[in-house]
Amino acid sequence: MSALVVDNIRKSFGEVETLKGIDISLESGEFLVLLGASGCGKSTLLNIIAGLAEPTGGDIRLNDRSLIGVHPKDRDIAMVFQSYALYPNLSVRRNIGFGLEMRKVPVAEREKAVAEAARLLQIEPLLDRRPSQLSGGQRQRVAIGRALVRNPKLFLFDEPLSNLDAKLRMEMRTELKRLHQMMKTTVVYVTHDQIEAMTLATRIAVMRNGQIEQLGTPEEIYNRPATLYVATFVGAPPMNILDVVATNNGLLVAGSDTVIPVPPSLLAGLPTGGSLKLGIRPESFRAEAGGLPLTLRCDVTELTGPELILSGSVGSQRLVATLPPRTRAPVGSDVTLSLDVEALHIFDGETGKRIN
Amino acid sequence: MSGTWITTRAWLLMLPLLIVMVAVIGWPLADTVQLSFTDAKLVGTSGSYVGFDNYVRLVSGNAFGRTLFTTTFFAVVVVTTEMVFGVLAALLLNQQFYGRTLLRALLILPWALPTVVNATLWRLIYNPEYGALNAALTQLGILDSYRSWLGEPGTALTALIVADCWKNFPLVAMIALAALQAVPRDVIAASYVDGASAFSRFRFVTLPYLAGPLMVALVLRTIEAFKVFDIVWVMTRGGPANSTRTMSILVYQEAFSFQRAGSGASLALIVTLIITVLAIAYGTAVKKVAGSAT
Ligand SMILES: Nc1ncnc2c1ncn2[C@@H]1O[C@H](COP(=O)(O)OP(=O)(O)O)[C@@H](O)[C@H]1O
Ligand SMILES: [Mg+2]
Repeated sequence: MSALVVDNIRKSFGEVETLKGIDISLESGEFLVLLGASGCGKSTLLNIIAGLAEPTGGDIRLNDRSLIGVHPKDRDIAMVFQSYALYPNLSVRRNIGFGLEMRKVPVAEREKAVAEAARLLQIEPLLDRRPSQLSGGQRQRVAIGRALVRNPKLFLFDEPLSNLDAKLRMEMRTELKRLHQMMKTTVVYVTHDQIEAMTLATRIAVMRNGQIEQLGTPEEIYNRPATLYVATFVGAPPMNILDVVATNNGLLVAGSDTVIPVPPSLLAGLPTGGSLKLGIRPESFRAEAGGLPLTLRCDVTELTGPELILSGSVGSQRLVATLPPRTRAPVGSDVTLSLDVEALHIFDGETGKRIN
Repeated sequence: MSGTWITTRAWLLMLPLLIVMVAVIGWPLADTVQLSFTDAKLVGTSGSYVGFDNYVRLVSGNAFGRTLFTTTFFAVVVVTTEMVFGVLAALLLNQQFYGRTLLRALLILPWALPTVVNATLWRLIYNPEYGALNAALTQLGILDSYRSWLGEPGTALTALIVADCWKNFPLVAMIALAALQAVPRDVIAASYVDGASAFSRFRFVTLPYLAGPLMVALVLRTIEAFKVFDIVWVMTRGGPANSTRTMSILVYQEAFSFQRAGSGASLALIVTLIITVLAIAYGTAVKKVAGSAT
C-alpha cells in the first residue's frame, strides 16, 4: 500500500496552468524531494498536499483516504515553512505545542511532547523565549519542533534550509536526515538545491514547468538522467554537454575532427547524421588511460585542494573535468583523458530525451 | 570634536522651524495662560489679575462636572464602537470576494467627507418632519409617530454618537486592514495546518500584528473624540438642555457666548491638560504594545 498518492494533480491560476498533471506514489517512510528551479510549481504542489490550496483536478490520497475537500487540520500532515512562520507573540514552548493546544490535547501530555521535541532538537534552554529572541538556525529548529510534536503521518518541508547560511545549512541537513532515520515518517521536501536533494532523498522528483521531468532514486537521477534538463540540473560543476554527430567510427564532436570511439553496440541505437547531445559529468573523466580516449586542449587549471578543475576545449566546444590534484595538465597543451562507456549520456538534440 | 559641530549644525538647521513653532504655538499658549488668570472680557479692557479664581469657579460649578462626564461618555462609547466595527470591517474586507475592491473604496467615503457635510447629512436623516430615520421606522411599524431625535435630551447624544461612529470607523478599518495585510501568509497557513479555529487564529496569530497599529488608532481617536467640537456644533450646538455639551462646546460658550475670555482660557487650558495626560499615558502604552508584537 502506498502511503501517499498524488494522482494527476492539476492546478491553474486563471489562464496559467501551473501544475500540468503530477503523479507521485510514495511508500511509507520514504523521503521524497521535489527538486526544481524557482517558479516550477513545487510550493503549489506542497500547498495542495497540505490543503492550503485546492487543485483544479486530480486526487491526493494519504493511506488510501482521499484528501480532496478535507480541511488542513484534519489531514494529519505537518508542515515546515521557508520563513519558519512562527507565531511572534507566543513563547517557543507554546509555538511548539500550538498544534496540540488547538487539538485540545491535555496539558500534561502536551508538555511531555514539547519537552521531547525540544530535547531532540537541542532547544531546551530556549523554551521560554520569544521567536524574535532567536537566531535563524534556532527558529528553524523551533519550526521543525512544531511539526515533530504532532507526530503526523506526513511531513511537508518547503525549502526549510534556504534562509540559513552555508555552514548551518549543512548541519541542519545532517540533522534532518538523522531525525528522519529515527522517526521513519514519510516526508515530502521541496528544494532547489541539488545537494540537499541528493543527500536527503530516498527518491527525487525533478520538476520543470509544472511537470515531473524524472522521478527516481538519487542514484538513478545522477547516473541515468532521463532528460537533458535533469542532466544539467543535478551535479556540480554541471554536466558538460557537447554537440555530437553519430558516424561509423564513433561520435564526432561538432566543429572539430575529434571522434570518440564508442562501441558499435552503442552506435547501433543512435540515429546517424542527426544532431545529438552528449553529456559527460566533469567527475567521470579519468587521467589514466584505459577507457574511451578524449583529447582536449587545456585552457585553465584550478587547484581546489582535493581536486584539480581543468577547463578545456574540443574544437570550439568547452568542457570541464575534475581530476586528481596531481594530474599533469600544462596550460596550452593537449591532454588525453579517458571515459567509461557508462559515463556517456546521449540525448536527442531536439526533444532532449535520453537515447542510450 | 566633529560631534559638537554636527550638533551645532543640527540646531542651525532646525532654527527656522523652532522660531515658527515658538511664534505660532508657544506665544499664543503663553498668552492664554496669562489670560486665564484674569477676568478679561472678549472685548474691551485686558482685565485684571484674579489668581486662580477662574479655575476654582469653573471646577466647582456644576456645568464642568456634567460636561466632563458627557464628554468622557461620548469618547468612550464612540471609540469603543469604532474600534469594534473598524476591526470587523477590516476582517471582512481582508477576505477574498467579488467586489472587494469597490467596497474598500466605498468604505473610506464617510471618513473622507468634511465633518460639516457629514453632520448636515445626519441632521437631514434625523429631521423630525421629513427625516429618513423617522420614515423608515414608521414604515417598518417600529414607531407610531415621528420623533425629534436631536430635539429630545434623551436621544440627542445617542444620535450624535451614531453620526460620529459612522464618520470615523472607516479610519480604524483602514488602519486595521493595512495591518492585516502585513500578517505573513505563511504564519496564517501554519495556523491552518496547526488546526486553529477562526477565533484562535484571530486571538493568537492576527491580533498580535494588529495590536500596535490599533493602539495608534485608539490614541488618535480618543484624543479627537475628547476634544470633539464641529460635529456637535453643527448638529445640536450642545443642546437640547446641554445634553450634548462637550468640553470644547463649553469652552466656546464660556469664551464667546458669555464673552468671558479669561475663564474661557482657563477652561481651554484644563482641556489641554487632560488631553496631554491622555496622550502621554497612551504614548507609553503604544510603545509597550508595539514592542511586544514584533
Ligand atoms: N496564488 C497564486 N496566484 C497566481 N499565481 C500563482 C499563485 N501561486 C503561485 N503562482 C504561480 O505559480 C507558479 C509556481 O509557483 P510556486 O509553486 O510558488 O513555485 P516554486 O515553489 O517552485 O518556486 C509561479 O509562476 C507563480 O507565479
Ligand atoms: Mg516555493
